[in-house]
Amino acid sequence: MSLIKQLWLTVIAILLLAFIGSLTISVTSSRHYIEQEVQIKNADNANALALSMTQLEKDDVSMELLVAAQFDTGHYRRIELRSPEGEILHLREAEEHIDDVPQWFINLVSFEVSPGQAVVQDGWSQYGTLTLESQHSFAYRTLWRSSLEMTGWFALAGMVSFLLAWWIVRTIRKPLVDVIQQAKSISARRFTTTEEPYTLELRQVVRAMNTLSGAVHEMLSEETSKLDVLRRRLQEDTTTKALTRESLLERLKRNLESNSHRASGALALVRVEQLAELNETLGRRGADTLLTSLVQHLREVGEHYGDADVGRLNGSDFMLIIPSATDLESVAQALNTHLNSLKASINDDVVLASVLADYQEGDTLSQRLAALDSTLAAAEARTDCLTMITQGDQRHALCTTQEEWREAIDQAMAAGVQLASYPVRDSKGGLIHYEAPSRLYMQGSWRNAGIFMPWVHRLQRDDALDMAVLEAALTHISKHHQPVGINVSARSLRDVHFIKHLTQRLRQAGRATQWLWMELPEHVAIHDLASFRLLCRELQPLGVKVGLEHVGSEFNKLADLHDLGLSFLKFDASLVSGIESSTDQQTILRGMATLAHSLGILAIAEGVKHEAEAEALFDLGLDGITGPGVK
Amino acid sequence: MGVVVATGALSYFPGSANAFNPQRLRNSMNRLYGTRGVQTLEEWFALLNRLRGANVATQLRNVNGFFNRRVLWRDDIQIWGQEDYWATPLETMGKGEGDCEDYSIAKYITLKALGVSGNKLRMIYVRARIGRSQITQAHMVLGFYQTPASEPLVLDNLVASIQPASRRNDLDPVFSFNSSGLWAGNSNNSRADPMARLSRWRSVVSRMQEQGFV
Repeated sequence: MSLIKQLWLTVIAILLLAFIGSLTISVTSSRHYIEQEVQIKNADNANALALSMTQLEKDDVSMELLVAAQFDTGHYRRIELRSPEGEILHLREAEEHIDDVPQWFINLVSFEVSPGQAVVQDGWSQYGTLTLESQHSFAYRTLWRSSLEMTGWFALAGMVSFLLAWWIVRTIRKPLVDVIQQAKSISARRFTTTEEPYTLELRQVVRAMNTLSGAVHEMLSEETSKLDVLRRRLQEDTTTKALTRESLLERLKRNLESNSHRASGALALVRVEQLAELNETLGRRGADTLLTSLVQHLREVGEHYGDADVGRLNGSDFMLIIPSATDLESVAQALNTHLNSLKASINDDVVLASVLADYQEGDTLSQRLAALDSTLAAAEARTDCLTMITQGDQRHALCTTQEEWREAIDQAMAAGVQLASYPVRDSKGGLIHYEAPSRLYMQGSWRNAGIFMPWVHRLQRDDALDMAVLEAALTHISKHHQPVGINVSARSLRDVHFIKHLTQRLRQAGRATQWLWMELPEHVAIHDLASFRLLCRELQPLGVKVGLEHVGSEFNKLADLHDLGLSFLKFDASLVSGIESSTDQQTILRGMATLAHSLGILAIAEGVKHEAEAEALFDLGLDGITGPGVK
Repeated sequence: MGVVVATGALSYFPGSANAFNPQRLRNSMNRLYGTRGVQTLEEWFALLNRLRGANVATQLRNVNGFFNRRVLWRDDIQIWGQEDYWATPLETMGKGEGDCEDYSIAKYITLKALGVSGNKLRMIYVRARIGRSQITQAHMVLGFYQTPASEPLVLDNLVASIQPASRRNDLDPVFSFNSSGLWAGNSNNSRADPMARLSRWRSVVSRMQEQGFV
């Protein structure tokens, strides 16, 4: 039984005890007292009357007058005089007057008072026996009234006590519930902190738990930043902090295969001409400054579009990947502006050649790099240094205009979503869940998400598609009882109504939610932490497992997520690729997996291509793998 | 607390509320008046044994004689140091002295102990003329009514023999009572009852219960 329930029961029990006890005692003692008083009165009055009558002449009229006088002027129920033989000589009797007292109360109290008796003497002989009963019906009313008053008083006292108890319970309940919640969270390795409550005992508990959570947070911050230093050393150019060639191309590859809106976008290539001479004129340090600020400017261009990556392909070539950027003209303009201001701030003699190209699902890395390279040659020939846009081979597109896309997508979504399935497996080959990117039936065949996702994003159909995917996933679960993982788009996450809608739908889904896994890209969760928190808080109680994908570049911010109760982390392919031969990568992934385990989080590797990688990953302690090499 | 004490007392003397208990009487007498009192009490027990089963006339005569012989008539103020004290038969026998009502009470209780119905016995307040003088004195006698309507026999300590009331010209009846009028119904358990101290009759009854008469 809960503490609060016990408290309530105690209050009720005490009140009832006090009420019944005092009512019983009061009624019983009053009853006893009244009985005594009436008894004495009966006896005394009978004797007094008998004494007076004994002194008189025993004629009928005097006797009757005496009885009548006593009866009429006093409060009697009955006065009777019987002869020694038992016949009634004189009798006066009155009704009982009990008007407004319920019968059950009279039966309950029922005074037991015997009448007073005395003998009237006539000389030596007995003239008669006098029996006298006082009127005591008034006593029922008095007793009834006082019982009513007492009941009323107790009702009032009860109300006040209930108010007090309610107030106490209320002041205890909230902190208590919070403490329980926090304790539960911590036992589920969700190291939350809560506000210290006012109640002393609870405050100490909460303080202890907060200290624990704080210590965990600190430990996590320390460990993750150590790992991040390692990761940066591995994946970033030491001078400019841009990504290395391998990392950047891995990112691009991931985008192309991502089955999300990132599957199409813009690529910018910037070459710093005559870097060797610049090194001489500006000095080593000056040249480094130039390159660093170039990377900075490229980042700023990318940030305008959201999650962009900047990398250094070689000494003088820098590349910017802007997923979901569609309007190449405006990107070109932004790029020009930034490059010009860079030149103005450093040295006008610097020559920066730049080209732009789009990329989309189905492209290959080499083909895109070749297209950029060939156009860059043309750009270098120009004197105005304006950004050039590749006029490469026209690729086949499903639709050409926005209107056509809108129509095609709406039709396809109305027809229904199909889910692809890519398994995530544990070390024994068991299924953890299926990754289930959506497919739409467009122009005669099922199309991968990479084709339509950029347009779904552009046409703001994200939430509709997310809901459609959820429905398809629930259907799959109820049919096959297999765990299914689906994505939530960044736009849906920001939409409070969507989350509400999602929660409602999942509440109706019953046990199916146990098999549902939901994942978001790491950067989406980190950049919209408030919404992500809300999502976790709403979905986790329903049994949905929430996790992050593409974890890597912002792993050091993971300490901020330690109280969310994440179920799994999927580590980015750029950390996984070639793991079997890179000890640095191994160190990083081992550390990440260990940290994840310390929070009760599953560690899963993405982009696993072959058996050697898989083996190395499980040796490092990862719980699951997924990727093209996992069947 | 009061409830606890009362039940404790009752359970200590089981059935003592209305039971004739010779052993208790002996103990009470021994404690209050020593061996001389106990001797009188034993004689009284012998009287009871002798008269049990005898006819009423014999019982009346012997009981009347027993107390008239054994008890010396003195005023309460001399015996007890107070104006009017109703003594129990035990006190009367213990002291060997008594006032008129002490005789009456002792005879009343003895006759009841012999099985005479309480309804037939009444204590009667009378005005008594002593000797041939015209001085009258408040007095009490015990009357025996064969039936409620009949003329009573008078058991008196002034006159040794029992006579019908009509023969007692020296006595002038004023009022009479017995236990049924004063000690009625539900107040049998009067030892714990504070009302007992309020009335002389009730007071003597309660002392008699303590000592073991009734």
